[in-house]
Amino acid sequence: MDAKPIVVCTWNESQGGLTVGAEEALTLGRGVAGATGAKLRLLVLGPLPEAAMETAGRFGADAVDWIEDAALEAFSPDAYVEALAGYCQQESPALVLFNQAADTRLVAPRLAGRVGAGVVMNGVDVSVGEGGGLQATASAYGGDTQMVYELSGAPSYVVALSANALLPEPAEGGPTEPECRVISSDLSGVQERVRVIEQARAEGPRLEDADIIVSGGRGLGGPENYKLIEQLAEALGGLAGASRPIVDEGWVDSSQQVGLTGKITRPALYLAAGISGASQHMAGCSAAKTIVAINSDPDAAIFRYARYGLVGDCLEILPELIRAARQ
Amino acid sequence: MRIVVCVKEVLDPDAVNNYALAGRLEIGEDGKSLTQTTIPRLMNGFDEQALEAALRLRDAGVECRIGAVSVGPDTATILKHAAALGADEIAALPMDDPTPDYHVAAALLAAYIRSSGDADLVLCGRQASDDDQGVVPALICEALGMPLVTNARAIELAPAADEPTLRITRVTPDGDEVVEVSCPAVVTVSNELGEPRYPTAAKKIAARRMKPEIITPEGLSLPAETLRPRVVAQRQFVPTVAGDCEFVPGESPAELAEALVARLRQDSLIQ
Ligand SMILES: Cc1cc2nc3c(=O)[nH]c(=O)nc-3n(C[C@H](O)[C@H](O)[C@H](O)COP(=O)(O)OP(=O)(O)OC[C@H]3O[C@@H](n4cnc5c(N)ncnc54)[C@H](O)[C@@H]3O)c2cc1C
Ligand SMILES: Nc1ncnc2c1ncn2[C@@H]1O[C@H](COP(=O)(O)O)[C@@H](O)[C@H]1O
Repeated sequence: MDAKPIVVCTWNESQGGLTVGAEEALTLGRGVAGATGAKLRLLVLGPLPEAAMETAGRFGADAVDWIEDAALEAFSPDAYVEALAGYCQQESPALVLFNQAADTRLVAPRLAGRVGAGVVMNGVDVSVGEGGGLQATASAYGGDTQMVYELSGAPSYVVALSANALLPEPAEGGPTEPECRVISSDLSGVQERVRVIEQARAEGPRLEDADIIVSGGRGLGGPENYKLIEQLAEALGGLAGASRPIVDEGWVDSSQQVGLTGKITRPALYLAAGISGASQHMAGCSAAKTIVAINSDPDAAIFRYARYGLVGDCLEILPELIRAARQ
Repeated sequence: MRIVVCVKEVLDPDAVNNYALAGRLEIGEDGKSLTQTTIPRLMNGFDEQALEAALRLRDAGVECRIGAVSVGPDTATILKHAAALGADEIAALPMDDPTPDYHVAAALLAAYIRSSGDADLVLCGRQASDDDQGVVPALICEALGMPLVTNARAIELAPAADEPTLRITRVTPDGDEVVEVSCPAVVTVSNELGEPRYPTAAKKIAARRMKPEIITPEGLSLPAETLRPRVVAQRQFVPTVAGDCEFVPGESPAELAEALVARLRQDSLIQ
């Protein structure tokens, strides 16, 4: 009998592409499929993005499974969970991998609950353990620790990969030519139980997409000083972010929070002023290519992650940085 | 209406952070639990805010009975804290494993809710600050066939609805979204809800005398199948951070700033 397939689940994001992180999940899935002799499939819910077949091939998938249904056109947790549960019953995957975005949190653990699968979120790795079964590594305590979980005892597993778990790597030896299988589903009985009354409206560019981010934390001392962060961000052509305490204090809007329970960003440059570097904050910026930290405490944790460090009072340094950046 | 708030005891995450920063976070002989006995144990912060959300509904005039329930080895302290804050009933579901499987915890919580007279609203934290999983509420909602709304910053009763309906403002990466859902439902609460209240001294004293109702798996007559772990923690470790920080030299703020900008331009990170 064939090993049960490894499935990477994705859906169309508004830009018409695959969900962010699909390539990372395919990379990891390919490794697990290779190690267990299983097939790798890309499962697409809703409209098939133009890039799906090409991406699946480039990352070595054997098939693209496509569930098309009017109920899946826009994100709808009830319909998505139902469609996925039907798919799992029909195809019995060993592992369904998701990339972890806010929407995934509404789907992945519910799918596990619906079909009796085991679930691990915040995954950073899935591998074959010593006993031959799968094991997942996930971050805990915001990243202060990592936990290795043995995945045994359930018929299938659902794992969501943290945004920064690994880098995508196309298949060695060139692209495969995956077949496209249309999977039927009956979602006529599903009605979304959560009714949206007022849609979220993101205004302007998103931190997740920013190339340069300047963030401020409690070290700014007071809400009036956050304007220094905004001015420096503007001078550098970037966006302004924040740590959680100053969001909780109401200095800035929660949409600017970077971290485990805020935005997961991956800019080329992340400049943190007056931020201590707690794991839960770093979870949202440690994938930055270059981190710069300004902190008055030379022993602050943030310097362990930083490429460049400035020890000093950020209220004195930020105005000088704004000046220097504008020159 | 009946509101059940699921509360979990965790190690104080700030203390864990401090140990981690000092490089003194250690894993015990079992290879999977943190050993520092000096780290205080407390109610998961988001769960305290979930309870606060329930209390605010009551303050807003919603007639309700609020229960707090917890699965864990020794949950009396946080349950008494819940009572001091205003919970009417407290229930403990003992479980010894220091790193319990959250599928089992969710199965116990769902069975308790069903057997204790159901709930119109189940409130949870958005995630537990130890495992950060955020899956227990989803597993409960599936076990009970209820809808799930995550990351609430405000919960109120929708006006002029035929059946009890909640209007919930939820935090999303794209800003706030307002949704409505009919009861019963599972709702998770995020830190944007704001500061939870403190218990008054009188309520603390009264709560000290309250004993949680102890409910065993046998009492819930759960099939053994539901109590079988699905993900078993094998090992916990402290990942290393490779630091290579170059401290930018400079006597004055202006010198520091100029030196940094020069480096960032050299690295083509800024223009
Ligand atoms: C479950 C959970 C989820 C969380 N999620 C997030 C999250 O998503 N995002 C997040 O940010 N946090 C999050 N946190 C909180 C996190 O643990 C830290 O408490 C928080 O990141 C600290 O913010 P801070 O660095 O601004 O403040 P502090 O830790 O108070 O640090 C302030 C820093 O400023 C420095 N400083 C003071 N004065 C000056 C000055 N004049 N000039 C320069 N430096 C100065 C100090 O030396 C210190 O290092 C979460 C916590 C938990 C438990
Ligand atoms: N052992 C437990 N006892 C009571 N509630 C729990 C327990 N574990 C998780 N929860 C609830 O589920 C939420 C999410 O937990 P988790 O899925 O572990 O991140 C918590 O904030 C609690 O509200």
